[in-house]
Amino acid sequence: MSEPVIFTMGGGGFTMEPSNPLLDDYVLSLASSPRPRILFLPTASGDTQPQMRAFQERFDCRACIPEPLSLFRLRDSRRPLHETLLAQDIIYVGGGSMRNMLAIWRAHDLDALLIEAWRRGIVLAGLSAGAMCWFQGGLTRSSGPPEPIAGLGLLDGSLTVHADGEPERLPVWLRCVREGSLPGGWALDDGVGLLFRGTRLVRAVSSRPGAGAERVDAIAGELVRQRLAVELLGAGEQPGASAEEEAIRELRQVRALRSGIPLDDL
Amino acid sequence: MHVGIPQIVAYGGGGFSLERESSLLDDYVLSLTGCDRPRVCFLPTASGDADHYIVRFYRRFAPSCEASHVSLFRRDQGTGGVEDHLERHLLAQDLLYVGGGNMVSMIGAWRAHGLDEVLRKAWRRGIVLCGPSAGSLCWFEDALSAFHGAPRIVRGLGFLPYSNCVHYDAEPARRVEYHRFVADGMLPGFAVEDGVALHFRDTALTRVVTSRPDGCAYRVESSAGGVEETRLEVSYLGAPSHRLGVSVAA
Repeated sequence: MSEPVIFTMGGGGFTMEPSNPLLDDYVLSLASSPRPRILFLPTASGDTQPQMRAFQERFDCRACIPEPLSLFRLRDSRRPLHETLLAQDIIYVGGGSMRNMLAIWRAHDLDALLIEAWRRGIVLAGLSAGAMCWFQGGLTRSSGPPEPIAGLGLLDGSLTVHADGEPERLPVWLRCVREGSLPGGWALDDGVGLLFRGTRLVRAVSSRPGAGAERVDAIAGELVRQRLAVELLGAGEQPGASAEEEAIRELRQVRALRSGIPLDDL
Repeated sequence: MHVGIPQIVAYGGGGFSLERESSLLDDYVLSLTGCDRPRVCFLPTASGDADHYIVRFYRRFAPSCEASHVSLFRRDQGTGGVEDHLERHLLAQDLLYVGGGNMVSMIGAWRAHGLDEVLRKAWRRGIVLCGPSAGSLCWFEDALSAFHGAPRIVRGLGFLPYSNCVHYDAEPARRVEYHRFVADGMLPGFAVEDGVALHFRDTALTRVVTSRPDGCAYRVESSAGGVEETRLEVSYLGAPSHRLGVSVAA
């Protein structure tokens, strides 16, 4: 049995960076198999078609066996969950409502299965809600305004995501850490991922130049903040042209959110 | 404030999501509200708040109702759903329409937002509750589910002290499985085909209605010899007397 592995992203991967595969390729590299089985759990989004499609588009052409798992769609669902989950090399969890995701997992006893998968050395990866869920706590916007929420507690501390992309999150998280409603932990920009082996942080990587991460603790009521050293993935080999496309896409997303168009329609 | 007899209309399947032309079942539940322009709120949770389902709901109900929906997956985005106070909004409705999909996921998400208790309150106040498939199963004590594995009993909200099996005509294996579970001690209950709905006042079944001339529903209970299945009397909503709005006693 291999050592438990968790890779948590502040944002990024196929749902957020359709033209930048660096983080997803990194996820695949964490499995010991040359052609890993990778299961996508889009629960936090309500299993939206765009997330499922984006997953297939990213992984269909790569050296892996991709499979999405829906807890809503009823087709092709005769296989017991434990068989589906424990046969994987990687389980990749998408973003969305962390509160809904955890409640739905519990309703299907999937939380216990994920912990079992982790113990067996199946790589657990995810972004946003799918990153925070592995920690003792995170910060969710599942009910509107950002608020603290408990996670599965496989990793000590708390995590906040989209530190640059959704700037309203960080101040609320810092206040929660200072006041003690969340334990100290990490704040990740979009594009940054932390690799944990066992419960130990071993590496911080990024798909975007300039994206950062920090460790924050409350000591005697004061916040102590430390920037982490983040390695840029694929340095030297990444074409620079895609950065502009990403920026345009992000601009469109922000504009759509402000005018009330669901992201799925983009 | 809305006060009336608790009413649930549990569809075996059907309504606007399945029946493109006929939504006689939906007309039937709308008539129970006693309002000219009822306030109808859609809960598409069991589908993961699928956009296409929400769009079809508005297409069906917006012309004749004050239509709204509650999305538990997009509460951070403010996309036309209800944002401020879920409970206040839900308790101000005449009809709550629960969509189909996966019941276990839906009830899990409801509990996380306290909606199970809000729905109980709504039911007690006489706000009509209805829905197909998962939107039927959820009101019962026990439901039969074959999602991710062998068929098993899953717990609903338990407003109605029976078991329920939907889409009874769609899969032949359903009947065998349901009978086996009832024989093994699952609560007695009701098996319902697509296009057929059970109308409960309080917890008593008062009427069975159908949008299809050949639609059936059954009472299923254990008996000395195993399981007894009794075909229920069904009112066809497409019959001329119903179209004219003449009521027929159950």
